[in-house]
Amino acid sequence: MKKLSIIAVLAAGAVIVSCSDVKRKPGSIYMPDMAYSRAYETYADHSNLKEQGINYTNMPVAGTIARGEEVPFPIAMDKPGDTVNYVASKKVPNPVAALTAAEYKEAERQYLINCGICHGTKLDGNGPLWKDGEGPYPAAPKNLINDPIVGNMPEGQMMYSLTYGKNTMGSYASQLNRKQRWQIIHYIKMKQAEAKGGKLPLADEAPAAMDSSATAKK
Amino acid sequence: MTTFRRISRILAAGIFFLSISFANKVTAQDGKALFNANCASCHKMDKDLTGPALMGVHDRWNNDKLLALWIKNWNKAVASGDAYAVKIKDWSPSSMTVFEGTLSDAQIDAILGYIKAWKPEAKPTAAAAGAPAEEGDNTLLFGILTLILAVISFTLLQVNASLKKMADEKAGEPVVEPVPFWRNKAYIATLTVILFCVGGYLTSKGAMALGRSKDYTPTQPIFYSHKVHAGANQVNCLYCHGGAEQGKHANIPSVNVCMNCHKAINEYVKGPKLYDEDGNEVDGTAEIQKLYKYAGFDPANAAAWDPSKAKPIEWVKIHNLPDHVYFNHSQHVKAGKVACQTCHGEIQKMDEVKQFSDLSMGWCINCHRETKVQFKDNGFYSIYEKYHNDLKSGKIDSTKGITVEKIGGTECQKCHY
Repeated sequence: MKKLSIIAVLAAGAVIVSCSDVKRKPGSIYMPDMAYSRAYETYADHSNLKEQGINYTNMPVAGTIARGEEVPFPIAMDKPGDTVNYVASKKVPNPVAALTAAEYKEAERQYLINCGICHGTKLDGNGPLWKDGEGPYPAAPKNLINDPIVGNMPEGQMMYSLTYGKNTMGSYASQLNRKQRWQIIHYIKMKQAEAKGGKLPLADEAPAAMDSSATAKK
Repeated sequence: MTTFRRISRILAAGIFFLSISFANKVTAQDGKALFNANCASCHKMDKDLTGPALMGVHDRWNNDKLLALWIKNWNKAVASGDAYAVKIKDWSPSSMTVFEGTLSDAQIDAILGYIKAWKPEAKPTAAAAGAPAEEGDNTLLFGILTLILAVISFTLLQVNASLKKMADEKAGEPVVEPVPFWRNKAYIATLTVILFCVGGYLTSKGAMALGRSKDYTPTQPIFYSHKVHAGANQVNCLYCHGGAEQGKHANIPSVNVCMNCHKAINEYVKGPKLYDEDGNEVDGTAEIQKLYKYAGFDPANAAAWDPSKAKPIEWVKIHNLPDHVYFNHSQHVKAGKVACQTCHGEIQKMDEVKQFSDLSMGWCINCHRETKVQFKDNGFYSIYEKYHNDLKSGKIDSTKGITVEKIGGTECQKCHY
């Protein structure tokens, strides 16, 4: 009898020790060869391919442009401490045609995903990361509507900032392709014009009809 | 208010004499608003950003008039030949915005008053939030209780048998030598049945669990809390995982995407305390330091950072599909308009991400049978003309709609080829 109770206590103890709610190991599988790919996959370590005689370049060939993509921004990034190219970028025009209603919607969506987090859904520089100084971001994002500098910034210079970053803002070249960046600049310009009481027309609509149909159009 | 008036009086003396009437209208509250609107993009009180930290700026200049002149147009302050102005000119390669014509003297006074009056907030004490309450696991309690009851009943049965034997002896009835319990057929039969049931249940459960990693919560190289980023700070999923609507993989963000924000956010102080799944407290600021190590970023010398030298962070993959299954994120996110949370659970509430769905075939098929395709205003499905017409004419019940199964979502070759 005594023996039995000792065993029971030990078993209960083992159960308590071994039971953790957190599953840190993925568990067993039928066929590891299938579950964990033998082939090279995305995010596998590509650093040693050359040693194995595999020719792999992880960057596109210099000078090539992806299908459907805009031509590269002609201005290079300034060297630290230099602003020559930043100033020169003022002269670059926006190569992307004015937005259609569908493109406007898409540009707005991209703005809300990538820019609104700091610059605010209303472009007022008060996104969730700033929240009037209550958010975690230490610097106030620019008010894209009221700021005297950004409000009148040429589109080329906006593109420079989106592509290479400016002050505490980082580069968005890896998140938005060139076309998306130019379209977002169109979107910001349209919003700025709207705030000043004017309206920039959408490409596929008569200027006068824009108010009512901008959102209603499918 | 009183300190402000004193400062404004000192500053307003002399050249700014005329502006006193304005100054009286501008309050300290305006100083904060003006600071946030005009200065906060580059300056913080207690931290260097694009511009230097401003706490104690009055003492450093020791010349309020010149400081105001610097704010209006720093070129003029440098031209005045003041040693400090010349020195501070080279603080950073980027030069300060000229506020001449944008800010009035009274407004500059208000901003300076706000800067002078600003004091760092007292750090909240550690006792603010205790560890999350331990959740009682009732299963274990019930298990122990069952075990104890089983032992007691077993003991009582034995006692009963002994008592019966003693009673029989006393009554003088013939005593049958009792069969010891390990040879008692009734016991053995009961035990066999129990073992069969328990063993069968565990075997089939274990076999079904093979290859499914539901609730898998690996320890990641950096304690990245989706609860803080996607929950509290409302960063959109697609900000970091933009590939989810562009291709097969929902990409893992490269270090430069982290650094978009973390170049400036170098401490975790404003959110609630962080705990990992085991209940250990995590220091958010130390985790950001880990990111800096990968990025090769030195917060003290931010301008010198070279993003191309960053090393990738080797995150542990959680959701894994075997090679014989094809899955494409963009098909589901972009064409199907399925929310991330449908398959990944409420990521925005997870400190450590765990696998929410078991990713079994039954789970996939079930969803394909039940989910209605978002036909409306969706160019991707415009080729299904017959279905569109049937929906319009009422031949197909529009409340039931078209399920993924109806457009071939359960064909073998859709996912296995």
